[in-house]
Amino acid sequence: MSSVILRNVNKSYGNLPIVKNLNLEVKDGEFVVLVGPSGCGKSTTLRMVAGLEDITQGDIQIGQRAINDLPPHKRNIAMVFQNYALYPHMSVRENIVFGLKKSGADAETIKQKLADVSEMLKLDDYLDRKPADLSGGQRQRVAMGRALARDADVYLFDEPLSNLDAKLRHHMRSEIARIQHQYNMTAIYVTHDQIEAMTLGDRVVVMRDGIVEQVGTPMDIYLQPTNTFVATFIGSPAMNLFEATIDGDDLVFDQYRIPASKIANVDLHDLGSHDTVLVGIRPDFFEDSALSSPSDNLFEFNDIQVDLVENLGFDKEIMFKLGGEDAKARLDLRSHVKRQEHISLSVDLNRVLLFDTSPQGMLINAGEV
Amino acid sequence: MMNKRTPIQSVILYALVFALVIFCVFPFLQILSTSLKHPIDWGNPSLIPRVLHLDAYKELLGLMPVKEVDVPASIQRLLDNPALSAEKKQMLLAKFSSGSDVFPFGRYMLNTFVISFVTGICSTFLASLAAYAIARLRFPAQSLMANGVLFVYMVGGVLLMVPLYQMSVNVGLASSAGGTIFSLFLIYLIQTLPVAMYMLGNYFRTIPFSLEEAAMMDGCSRVEAFWRIIMPLSKPMLFTVFIYCFVIAWNEYLFASVFLKQYQDFQTLPLALQTLFTSKNAIWDRIMAASMLTLLPVVICFMLANKHLSGGLTDGGVKG
Ligand SMILES: Nc1ncnc2c1ncn2[C@@H]1O[C@H](COP(=O)(O)OP(=O)(O)O)[C@@H](O)[C@H]1O
Ligand SMILES: [Mg+2]
Repeated sequence: MSSVILRNVNKSYGNLPIVKNLNLEVKDGEFVVLVGPSGCGKSTTLRMVAGLEDITQGDIQIGQRAINDLPPHKRNIAMVFQNYALYPHMSVRENIVFGLKKSGADAETIKQKLADVSEMLKLDDYLDRKPADLSGGQRQRVAMGRALARDADVYLFDEPLSNLDAKLRHHMRSEIARIQHQYNMTAIYVTHDQIEAMTLGDRVVVMRDGIVEQVGTPMDIYLQPTNTFVATFIGSPAMNLFEATIDGDDLVFDQYRIPASKIANVDLHDLGSHDTVLVGIRPDFFEDSALSSPSDNLFEFNDIQVDLVENLGFDKEIMFKLGGEDAKARLDLRSHVKRQEHISLSVDLNRVLLFDTSPQGMLINAGEV
Repeated sequence: MMNKRTPIQSVILYALVFALVIFCVFPFLQILSTSLKHPIDWGNPSLIPRVLHLDAYKELLGLMPVKEVDVPASIQRLLDNPALSAEKKQMLLAKFSSGSDVFPFGRYMLNTFVISFVTGICSTFLASLAAYAIARLRFPAQSLMANGVLFVYMVGGVLLMVPLYQMSVNVGLASSAGGTIFSLFLIYLIQTLPVAMYMLGNYFRTIPFSLEEAAMMDGCSRVEAFWRIIMPLSKPMLFTVFIYCFVIAWNEYLFASVFLKQYQDFQTLPLALQTLFTSKNAIWDRIMAASMLTLLPVVICFMLANKHLSGGLTDGGVKG
């Protein structure tokens, strides 16, 4: 196991920059997830670490070794590909032990590893089959097994679950988390799925257009997104953003006046330099006022007309208009709101975020999580 | 998509297909039939011989009992004369047991097999390396090279026959049997390489590159990935390409006729058949039997190739 350090890494195809000045340190035994919309350069970054793409500029280190000029087969990295890339002419067993054999492991180790991996991934019954005779989920497990059987310094995963159906994906997600903790692997995991990112990562790297927008623990990123892109990309349903004008100490939109002083980490002098701000409230932080216990720091949005209610079982999502925008709230099952009803929603002002109205939409009230 | 055919349509369709097949196969049936007929049967237009007569095959394959030399009585008396030296006797005998009567078919077959096999192996090997380079690597003038080799294929052999022979004379290869065969082998290689490369190149392109990337992550260099992943996965195509090259060399007449004219012992079958046709041994059943035996490996090759081509070996490796 080893740490991975990317320093000022750039990648361009021709004149087109794809990854821009990326800095990242993955600590020994840490599970880092790269997340971002499709085409933002996650795979490219991973493939530069693997050595499958060359680095236009910058350095990558694994352990103490600079690996820029090391060919992929000398980097001692294991990788799970999005399309699995199993060797079609080899049985599952041969697929799994291929890399081990190549690294010169002795027969006893190979046997032991194969037994471990096939038991862990429940592949015992398929060891003699060819990949063509496996289902999608089984192929995915073989691809995982092939990587996990290796004694690699770093494990790379490129959207390994994206081809699975929802149920299997959920199952494999927990399996990966369990295995990672068991083996304490250094891993970089790429996904466009923010739930995978939040559930798997020790730390999450949010990328957009080849730029790292934020690096932090899942909780950091959920509670303190550095800008509106991260705020809306992470979390489902997405964070609601309302544009408010600043009037003295109050943030005003529609008929509501939110006392800025009660919002966490707000410096009123700072706010003075803005005319307007974006108020960000996660759907999860709304509560049905009928059910919330009164408290000093609650703000109440009264007279809200419910446009739509979606029952999800334990919670329900409701849609309504606020500040001229479509907004969503997630209420728990005790709430009995109905469509077209008028209700009050309250929100804990400690949970309200403020962003400036620049194109980046930077977080104004940054603070401790 | 498919329309349901009425019974009448089906009958017509099958009749047409059957007619076409017969049309194609008829010459071969004719060869087979004639090769199995006894000389007295040649006038019989039926394809089925009255009696099965395998002498032609036996003779070609050297399975005939050695014929007693038929010597006239007067000569026999001469031979019995103890005063005559053994050497003289041999000479006399040789006059009557003319060796030209024996057609060394086995020898020709072996010649042809060796040169075709070596051509097939070498051409497939070289083509796979070249095809990989063209399919996967980026280098200057790549498309020029990829298309340039196909150009070779478009130039007719007749045009090159004389210059190539001259070249091999000039470098001194044509002065020995070995050198001549080597030049012929080079020519067969050049003749078969373009298409072999083309076939393999197209096949390699169907193998997902991520398989090689996976092999590299598993610790293989690019060259190892080629040998351990690409080559095993291309087995059906390699086999097909081998057969293609083998058959081309097996049937080649033009260059062989020029290069091997003076090396009787090293002639290949197409050339030998030509000699057989025009010799005093031009006996129908023997010609046809020789043709049949020449065809046989080709037919076997195509049956094998057919069997191999059906399997998709790269299935299941990658998703999507
Ligand atoms: N070989 C290439 N040539 C040019 N552009 C490429 C190449 N490979 C990838 N790209 C571009 O790089 C961007 C990032 O790709 P990728 O890293 O695969 O994104 P993702 O984050 O979805 O994994 C995409 O916009 C893609 O079009
Ligand atoms: Mg990708």
